[in-house]
Amino acid sequence: MTRNLKSALFSALLVWAVAYPVLGLKLTIVGINIEVHNTSPMILSVIAICSLLMFVRVLFNQQLSTAWKNSPSLPKVPAKATNFLTLPSTQRWIILGLVVVALVWPFYGSRGAVDIATLILIYVMLGLGLNIVVGLAGLLDLGYVGFYAVGAYTYALLSHYFGWSFWVCLPLAGMMTATFGLLLGFPVLRLRGDYLAIVTLGFGEIIRLFLRNLTDITGGPNGISNIPKPTLFGLSFDRTAAEGMQTFHEYFGIAYNSINKVIFLYLIALVLVLLVLFVINRLLRMPIGRAWEALREDEIACRALGLNPTVIKLSAFTLGATFAGFAGSFFAARQGLVTPESFTFLESAIILAIVVLGGMGSQLGVILAAVVMILLPEMMREFSEYRMLLFGALMVLMMIWRPQGLLPMQRPHLELRK
Amino acid sequence: MATKQITKLFAAMVLAGFASHSFAADTIKIGIAGPKTGPLTQYGDMQFAGAKMAIEQINAKGGVDGKKLEAVDYDDACDPKQAVAVANKVVNDGIKFVVGHLCSSSTQPASDIYEDEGIIMITPAATGPEITARGYKMIFRTIGLDSAQGPAAGNYIADHVKPKVVAVLHDKQQYGEGIASAVKKTLEDKGIKVAVFEGVNAGEKDYSSVIAKLKQANVDFVYYGGYHPELGLILRQAKEKGLNAKFMGPEGVGNESISQIAQGASEGLLVTLPKAFDADPENKALVDAFAAKKQDPTGPFVFPAYAAVEVIAGGIEQAKSEDPAKVAEAIHKGTFKTPTGNLKFDAKGDVEDFKFVVYEWHFGKPKTEVSPQ
Amino acid sequence: MPDIYHFFQMLVNGLNVGSTYALIAIGYTMVYGIIGMINFAHGEVYMIGSYIAFIAIAGLTMMGLDSVPLLLTAAFIASIVVTSAYGYSIERVAYRPLRGSNRLIPLISAIGMSIFLQNTVLLAQDSKDKSIPNLIPGGFTFGPGGASEVIVSYMQIVVFVVTFLAMLGLTLFISRSRMGRACRACAEDMKMANLLGINTNNVIALTFVIGAALAAVAAVLISVQYGVINPNAGFLVGLKAFTAAVLGGIGSIPGAMLGGLVLGVAEAFGADIFGDQYKDVVAFGLLVLVLLFRPTGILGRPEIEKV
Repeated sequence: MTRNLKSALFSALLVWAVAYPVLGLKLTIVGINIEVHNTSPMILSVIAICSLLMFVRVLFNQQLSTAWKNSPSLPKVPAKATNFLTLPSTQRWIILGLVVVALVWPFYGSRGAVDIATLILIYVMLGLGLNIVVGLAGLLDLGYVGFYAVGAYTYALLSHYFGWSFWVCLPLAGMMTATFGLLLGFPVLRLRGDYLAIVTLGFGEIIRLFLRNLTDITGGPNGISNIPKPTLFGLSFDRTAAEGMQTFHEYFGIAYNSINKVIFLYLIALVLVLLVLFVINRLLRMPIGRAWEALREDEIACRALGLNPTVIKLSAFTLGATFAGFAGSFFAARQGLVTPESFTFLESAIILAIVVLGGMGSQLGVILAAVVMILLPEMMREFSEYRMLLFGALMVLMMIWRPQGLLPMQRPHLELRK
Repeated sequence: MATKQITKLFAAMVLAGFASHSFAADTIKIGIAGPKTGPLTQYGDMQFAGAKMAIEQINAKGGVDGKKLEAVDYDDACDPKQAVAVANKVVNDGIKFVVGHLCSSSTQPASDIYEDEGIIMITPAATGPEITARGYKMIFRTIGLDSAQGPAAGNYIADHVKPKVVAVLHDKQQYGEGIASAVKKTLEDKGIKVAVFEGVNAGEKDYSSVIAKLKQANVDFVYYGGYHPELGLILRQAKEKGLNAKFMGPEGVGNESISQIAQGASEGLLVTLPKAFDADPENKALVDAFAAKKQDPTGPFVFPAYAAVEVIAGGIEQAKSEDPAKVAEAIHKGTFKTPTGNLKFDAKGDVEDFKFVVYEWHFGKPKTEVSPQ
Repeated sequence: MPDIYHFFQMLVNGLNVGSTYALIAIGYTMVYGIIGMINFAHGEVYMIGSYIAFIAIAGLTMMGLDSVPLLLTAAFIASIVVTSAYGYSIERVAYRPLRGSNRLIPLISAIGMSIFLQNTVLLAQDSKDKSIPNLIPGGFTFGPGGASEVIVSYMQIVVFVVTFLAMLGLTLFISRSRMGRACRACAEDMKMANLLGINTNNVIALTFVIGAALAAVAAVLISVQYGVINPNAGFLVGLKAFTAAVLGGIGSIPGAMLGGLVLGVAEAFGADIFGDQYKDVVAFGLLVLVLLFRPTGILGRPEIEKV
């Protein structure tokens, strides 16, 4: 009991030490000096209550945890259901169902909702791409956003200087980022584990800094603006068409409605995501896909079996980069503007969080996680300045709640009868 | 195709229903969009403070045409991606008047949507010239352009300071680099060579390398394009490292915080500021109102944001309508009396004749005007 | 010979920045050495430390106590106590429940924690930069003057001395004390240490506390030297310090010290040669180069492949 009391006191004090100086005291600027003032007594009492609760919680830790165990727990998702949900065959059907829904609903949704959905699809694309590198091949890449940036700037620069259209630039952007992936991957892939992580992080930052500093080519911090939106076989979705072009609504003789543009972008994103999904699903059944996962599980065994780890890693890295390139050039088209500040490390972190939260390697998981990670901050707009605070806290809570990810990946397997 | 058309028609009707609903309400909603999270929050806070104060004071006087104004906040974190989402949300919410956005990079993609949807946007902070250079009708700004401020500073340096060795620094951001390039160009046109032209990393603390470089080049005049936190640090470190040079900056540095950060080193700093603002005796009451709310009125975007709301209110009054197209027309035609002066907009939506005056900063004392330009 | 003076001035400035990187880098490297995770929230701990230092200094100044040694001591003590509490609590809340799961899980949790802490301070202390006057003005000047002089400010000397003492203390603690031995044992083999009766949970908590305390030392030094703090300062400094830790060989304490100094000096000279805007490119470029030739950092132990 005394031990409990000691640790309870310690915990209560800890609450004060953590909360009081930052929340209870406030630095205020008075003229040219700063002063410290107490904040409202309300905050103090909240801290006091928290520390009291902590004290009780730690003091009666054992009793509470036994009570917790005995109390009827929340209806848990039965293991069977989770198992069923994560089976590859079910996932295929779910994805199919999702695709059908995704195709139909934008015609009923509002402009804002369709636009957010487009954003989510961009992140699904990025998540799926990074999933190959991190989830399947097991290479921790913290600089994935660098490839995204290369893709975005490839389209932006080509359209700015040569006036090339989105559809020409899209495969070019893919090729460009693949080249980048190959060039960067070649020297760094012999690094192991977290060294690889930091070097990729470094490369991501270097790419962003060069984009920012080479003002003559990339526009520096201004970035490149007025990037044209994609067209449908030469039909633009703008109110008035550029010279020698025709607009969609004129061609079909319907009234101009700006939502058409948003829906069209959404559909392109959906097609791109489906393409990416298709390619990954095919590759996963091919020797190269199997080799990725084998490499993640045991590199030494792979080498013993005569697989060339460098080639396998490079292929995963390059393919992941290519998809980031697609996502990037689409992002540039959707936004109409690219600036280096869109490609900071935080963006890499969000994409990585999507992959991890989804359950590494699981494609349906990545889709779900992308929806969660992008929708959460948007839904929390009502909380205004508390938005990012809640977002950070939720990221921690989700990791604690489901460390294996929302829908972890499952291989087809048989279980022995018990 | 036919069913699609019907559904779309239906959607449009619903939307129109929402829109007319918001027209029928007794308040006029004004969206304020800017960063409330992320590294640029402190500039966003200036904009929100200014715009909200204006809305409050207009409402205290009885509102616009008997209708109260209502502020609706949107956080874009100065991220272009989120700015697009915010703009779409503004469209969804049926708001017709927007004050914002703050950063040029988020203003630009958002303005595409506002123009497309017929929403009036007045930015009090985004200074990138290309924002108003695209022939848009609904986009305005109540702050001077980089391209106007740069030459004003450059001419003053060339005509009055006549330094021996000049350095031009900037913070590698849209605003800072834009102004710094304009200053450099003006100086070079006047035959003054710029010895050092370099970007520094915004958000860092240590600028000793760049100061050592300036010292090695025997620089006696430094123009800095950027905001006050970085210049404050540079001034402070320059003094410590014995760099004897005169410093000058744009309106982004010209607020009380620079004295707070640079302390004694802010003495003698030259700043180009739009004429009047917080020092104008006419604005005394307003400054006091900010002080009563414990807000700082000296930030570079507080008064332009205040003015933006006044322009919207004035536009609605002069157009005698809340139809954004008519209001936009009225704004293009009219003249508006605001704390930042009598604003008149040109065809692009920029303020006409935005005058900059050079002030000299004094530590612990009010700034003094050094050149009526 | 102004160039020689310029060279030495850059060297002094570089070492100054580098020593603060080194202090923060130790926090990354110790945590990594023991539980093998990258603690991305460490930069925010540093940022909180700088706020506490300012609160202590401003509070005492308001009470009329303005003797510099007293202010500095108070800032150090307050900052160390509070950040230690943060280090401990972060580990307890965000990482301990995740022990034993895939190593990427705590990484994401750490990023979430970092966003959370940064926004807490942003909301509680508002977004404005806060600053204090120079506490220790002046310095030594060497050389004839003008462009040909090297200025070493008193504050820089304080930074060097305090960093040296902190490093010395840490080294003695790790090599001589009982707890230090336990730390090393855990870094070597966690399971074995546990079997031998070492309370590994306590040791892990201790590494977080020590890391946080050293970050607090760096926070006080940096914030007093530059005199300005804001809620966003943690991320960039954290990233640099992490780079320094990897450069020196992550997991190795002398490596973190060396990595910090090397990175600081490289940045100073890189900024001088390529321009300040390329400073970070130089830092990351150096990291990539070093890792290409020494895949485990300057002082890192070569990884032994276990089957």
